[in-house]
Amino acid sequence: MGQVLYTEETKLGRKVAVVAGGHSKFGKRYDATMRELCAEAYKPIYDEGITQDKIDASVLSYAASQFTGQGAGSALIADYIGIQDKPHMRVESACTTGTASLRAAWGMVSAGLYDVMLVLGVEQMNRVSSATATEYMSQAGDMRWEYPFGISFPAFYALMASRYMAEYNLPHEVLSMISVKSHHYGAQNPKAHLGREVSLEEAHNSVPICRPLNLYDCSLITDGAAAVVIAAEERVKEFTDRPMWIRGIGAGASEMMIQDRSSLTSIPGAKRASKAAFEMAGLKPDDINMAEVHDCFSIAEMVAYEDIGFAEPGKGRELVENKEIYHDGRIPVNCDGGLKSKGHPLGATGVSMTYEILKQMRNESENPSRQIKDVQYGLAHNVGQSGQFTNVFIFERGFS
Amino acid sequence: MTEKKEIYLGYATDKAVTPWYEEWLSNLEQEKIMKSVCPSCKAEYLPPRQHCQKCLSVTEFAEFTETEAKLFSYVIVDFAPESLSSKAPYVVAIGEFPSGLRLTAHITNLTSMPEVGMSLKLGFDRVDDKKITYRWLV
Repeated sequence: MGQVLYTEETKLGRKVAVVAGGHSKFGKRYDATMRELCAEAYKPIYDEGITQDKIDASVLSYAASQFTGQGAGSALIADYIGIQDKPHMRVESACTTGTASLRAAWGMVSAGLYDVMLVLGVEQMNRVSSATATEYMSQAGDMRWEYPFGISFPAFYALMASRYMAEYNLPHEVLSMISVKSHHYGAQNPKAHLGREVSLEEAHNSVPICRPLNLYDCSLITDGAAAVVIAAEERVKEFTDRPMWIRGIGAGASEMMIQDRSSLTSIPGAKRASKAAFEMAGLKPDDINMAEVHDCFSIAEMVAYEDIGFAEPGKGRELVENKEIYHDGRIPVNCDGGLKSKGHPLGATGVSMTYEILKQMRNESENPSRQIKDVQYGLAHNVGQSGQFTNVFIFERGFS
Repeated sequence: MTEKKEIYLGYATDKAVTPWYEEWLSNLEQEKIMKSVCPSCKAEYLPPRQHCQKCLSVTEFAEFTETEAKLFSYVIVDFAPESLSSKAPYVVAIGEFPSGLRLTAHITNLTSMPEVGMSLKLGFDRVDDKKITYRWLV
């Protein structure tokens, strides 16, 4: 099952904490390639004193090498940031690559293979046209039965949106309200790719991309990197007195072809991942103080509320319409701008979610108007492709 | 690197072609949609699989004869992948047959917005002089 390492009964593993994080500016970064982006993400960690000699090994979260043409990415990055003599590896699982990398590193640290690991997430996506980027991402569909019909990445989620809107009689304006919220917080996040406010009218009436989804329903094609360092419990105090414990991890999966799913109003793998994470953590959705969810599309955020258990099926709109997902609401979601406004550099996204939760727990948001009060438990929900991969992490504040 | 040439609608690129797939295509060119049936556990697949998902046995082709379906979901692709950009906008639909099997293809004769639950009929369309693809008609 892979979920039992943490228990007192098995004593198979060690507790693991996130002890530091760093983040590059997200955006169209023509001034940098993946190596410079990774250096930018690691530098704040280095500046906190976690220098190369303190790191035992690293995992590179790098989802799509076709954007750069760079093979052996983990070797390139390890060398560039000065850990070329430390073991490294690359993990890939589409848009969940970041949390899959964290999960891999957690397993190695928990099992005792290493004490201190660096998890670096990066993607450089803007050196190709939007049409080519859309082409690359469509190749994550079934190359024999889906790709030949031109089902792009937004199209998979539009198929979910059409079904959800029909089953629950959801008007598009409610999806646009999610985008308005994302941009509201992205405007307050200096790391965000498209940090500006948008009006409901602008979001609702923007150009169609894959109807019923339009431009403002879609996340961004972004360059960027994020990094975290994790450490075994007996080493944590060497690095910080403000650790963030990894309290629960759940992973799930769903059918490859979207037509084969029994429902398109939910991502079954995300429900399974959430359930597993809550079971491991011994917590329930009401215990969570903030969430970073995978809003690659507005409909994905709506479905996430329900798959995690913040809302009953079909009732996610109530969270949106009542603004309960704002920073001062019942369950703040994506108060960094999310994938929609902060951006979605595929391999960096899951690591960026982790970084943001650490930052919120430490009360270190750049702008008080996006700072969530007193975060004890934070949840990261990371989905790959249209749900074939899913990871949910629950983090616990390790300081008072 | 991705080849920039356009793909034939409904046709896998060379990287996904095998003799088994070519046999499926040869049936398609006679306007026959083939499902696959597992000789061991009788599981049925549409689109077909060469190996049974449940017991990994090699499956057999059988003609799929259902033609009437309901629209399970749809998308109107306005901004398309590079390989199909000249065809945008186009409508991709998942149709569900009475048996519960589903198929994904374009709807090619819409005159108004599609609606989940509407009736669809499976048909065929000529891609060029030699190639035929399957499609949904309303």
